[in-house]
Amino acid sequence: MNFRLVFKVTGKALMVEAVSMLIPLLVSLIYQEDPTPFLFTIPLVMIIGFLLSLLPSNDHFFPREGFFSVALIWLLMGAFGALPFYFSGFFPTYIDCFFEAVSGFTTTGASILTAVEPLPRGILFWRSFIHWLGGMGVLILTIALLPSLGARTLHLMKAESPGPVVSKLVPKSSQSSKILYGIYCGLTAIEVIALRIAGMPWYDSIVHSFATAGTGGFSTRNISVAAYGSPAIEIIITIFMLLFSVNFSLYFLLLCGKVKQVLQSDELRFFLIVVFASIVLISINIWDFYPTGGESIRHAAFQVGSIISTTGFASTDFNLWPEFSRVLLVLLMFIGACAGSTGGAIKCSRVLLLGRCIKREIRQVIHPRAVNVVKLDGRVVEESALRSVHIFFSAYILITLGATLLVSIDNYSFGTTFTAVVSCIGNIGPGLELVGPMGNYALFSGFSKLVLSLCMIVGRLEVLPILVLFSGNAWKRS
Amino acid sequence: MKIIIVGDGKVGFTLAEHLSQEEHNVTVIDTNDDALRRASESLDVMCVKGNGASISALKESGAGSADVLIAATSLDEVNMVCCLTAKRLGAKFTIARVRNVEYAMELSSMKQELGIDMAINPENATAVEISRLLRFPNAANIETFCRGRVELISFRVREGDFLAGQPLSAQTGKIRELAMLVCAVEREDGKVIIPDGSFVPHAGDRLYLVGQPSGLTAFFHLLGRHTPKLHSAFIIGGGRVAHYLTAILLKLGMRVKIVERKPERCRLLSDMLPHALIIQGDGTDQELLEEENASASDAFIALTDRDEDNIIISLYAMQQGVKKVVAKSNRQNYTGIAHAAGLDSVISPKLITASQILQVVRGMQNSKGSVMNALYKICDGHAEALEFIANETTHNQGIPLKDLRLKKGILIAVLVHKGQIIIPDGSSSITAGDTVILISRNHGILDLNDIYEDSLLDLGAAQ
Repeated sequence: MNFRLVFKVTGKALMVEAVSMLIPLLVSLIYQEDPTPFLFTIPLVMIIGFLLSLLPSNDHFFPREGFFSVALIWLLMGAFGALPFYFSGFFPTYIDCFFEAVSGFTTTGASILTAVEPLPRGILFWRSFIHWLGGMGVLILTIALLPSLGARTLHLMKAESPGPVVSKLVPKSSQSSKILYGIYCGLTAIEVIALRIAGMPWYDSIVHSFATAGTGGFSTRNISVAAYGSPAIEIIITIFMLLFSVNFSLYFLLLCGKVKQVLQSDELRFFLIVVFASIVLISINIWDFYPTGGESIRHAAFQVGSIISTTGFASTDFNLWPEFSRVLLVLLMFIGACAGSTGGAIKCSRVLLLGRCIKREIRQVIHPRAVNVVKLDGRVVEESALRSVHIFFSAYILITLGATLLVSIDNYSFGTTFTAVVSCIGNIGPGLELVGPMGNYALFSGFSKLVLSLCMIVGRLEVLPILVLFSGNAWKRS
Repeated sequence: MKIIIVGDGKVGFTLAEHLSQEEHNVTVIDTNDDALRRASESLDVMCVKGNGASISALKESGAGSADVLIAATSLDEVNMVCCLTAKRLGAKFTIARVRNVEYAMELSSMKQELGIDMAINPENATAVEISRLLRFPNAANIETFCRGRVELISFRVREGDFLAGQPLSAQTGKIRELAMLVCAVEREDGKVIIPDGSFVPHAGDRLYLVGQPSGLTAFFHLLGRHTPKLHSAFIIGGGRVAHYLTAILLKLGMRVKIVERKPERCRLLSDMLPHALIIQGDGTDQELLEEENASASDAFIALTDRDEDNIIISLYAMQQGVKKVVAKSNRQNYTGIAHAAGLDSVISPKLITASQILQVVRGMQNSKGSVMNALYKICDGHAEALEFIANETTHNQGIPLKDLRLKKGILIAVLVHKGQIIIPDGSSSITAGDTVILISRNHGILDLNDIYEDSLLDLGAAQ
């Protein structure tokens, strides 16, 4: 393990984090709030990052260094990103601040705050802004800004980007990152304007757009989007939640005019079918809950979009819905968004591949000598890619179960404990019962909060990087 | 520039490696998953799986808007079809690797028909390179500039050479009058130095000299290491390189023996090369080498397709006292080991092919500025030797070199002014039309103006 280079890359990422804190600082100054939380944090993070980036090192950078540094960077991002919360004095302990910051960076949106509204606007802005940063990936931003990281940045991108296969848009990885961030910024800007037109104030529309873009879910109101009571706002947010859970390379193809290729994407079709079927089923199930059928469909669509995109906004308290709808939503928490989007959880393409592998296995039993390949978008998927899908799925489920056992020490009901873990590892935010859309995570012990924070990073980085960080082998020099 | 490389083999990978490091947008096409994975994991390039000669794969990789397409698969026919298709799709410049002798001969007339702008024959290029080494047996490797009028050679300082142990500036007038210059030094620990007058060479250093061939010959005379012309060559392995090389050596009037394992190949060779002596047998067999008295030949060249064999039998030949030993090795990691064992002339067809293509690509890049004619990697790739032609766009014309602020690690080694070769001193200056040969420790010198230290003063002078 080339520790010097790992620390050097980490230093550069921390410098990017420090610079990004200038924006909430500006917000604090505009609203004439106390800027000290940021004034303390920015120089501290900047100096640590700068000192680390000065380390002399060779450029031996291999997959293990990529995975290791990504995991380390995300842990440190959370740790340092928590400092403004800590200095603001609105959070009881540092662990709470860490939970909140990790929940922000991993675009989970699970909060330990019982009341959001009294917080200063600068802090609330930072809370949503880290959604936006973490959504596309802090390192992808670092690569886009600092191409000097060299040719082997693909290992970093690979470890940070969601999905089983990482494809580049253009030959240069720094250029690919720039294109991704361009699309990301463009869509975010369109949403800000749309929300403003629908009647949200500028500040709220920017904060909510950041939270939607990163598929995070932090709101400026205690009862989330339901507080606005505006169908137009809910519909706009539903559409954008779904837009941000589509693979971003499809947008690039659209911009290049390759519409046919986009329509033939297996993953997109699967995603749309799942979304549509869930909305229909839930609408029928909750038809009598709301005065009009239109309202039922609107709420069903909003919740389905919110859960499958792993955002976690709520337009109504779905914890009160019938059991069928609640279980369906929990299942959607496992599936999650498309690969290459800002959403989390297992990802549609993996679920699709798992299904096709099962189909192949059944055929293999009936025709033992048959040679079958698994295809996605008309291309053969390599066996190594399939193997990684299997490993990912097993590890994901095992970690979910293990974490459920650890959190159960706090002695809450199975529904609360299990959906809290599923929601955190899937980067969604709300679960059911006590951690439902109108509840929060304040009730858990410090230990459970740490376990859940780790779950969030495990889910965001797709399991392996964190396991590499905690494996004894990775820490050996040779 | 947008560059597409078809075929991710040895040459394709090396090209992709260098071109992507030079900030080009490189796309690699291959049918082999493993090769593509290797490229996508270690290089900043885009990989496309598919047959490079098919229209769909070429379209997917954007061949229509490519500036350069390099077809480097193992099949000549695929390379030619690939260039043809790409050219029709709109690629601006196509380069094909064509190794079949018959195609290579017809190529000039087929260029227009097939849309191949340049053809590279790796085996032929390697043979030319080896023949150059045999003509100049003192040096480990030779590069040429200015159409062969200036040469760059390297050799290792031995214990007891008069050079060792005193600064270059203290050498006698005889040495200083020679039209040559010590332009780079590679220390035994791998450190690369661009020397000045105060530099003290030690035994074991590899010195790079640049100058007129006559000056270099005279220098080796003074050094007492002049070897007379070689008269006989012993070649192990009768592949294509051996074929081309033998043809060249026979023309130079040398006697050539080839040892080849396969009987059919031997028969073919003896048919095509009637003046060479073809021996059927295992070239790695020491008994056979003794029987044929390999140690008595002036030059020994190992060209089998196994790198390991080549290096081992070359070491054996060195031990037997053959004056000039050359080994072919495609794998770069063996070069270091071979150097350590004292085997200096290790050549790699892969690198030779790649560097020829790189030169062409680099030359295209700066059609606006000064023209780069040649670029060679020296000192194991840690330094570069470059040849430029100065033109109107070149800054600081007519200013004596001693008044110029050059970037660190850059040495102007030779100026060719109106056909006259000058080893420059502080009072020389660059004028438009001059050929300038430089040595640089920095990479990425792509224009003559890149050598100047940027400062407000220089910018003012440029305007």
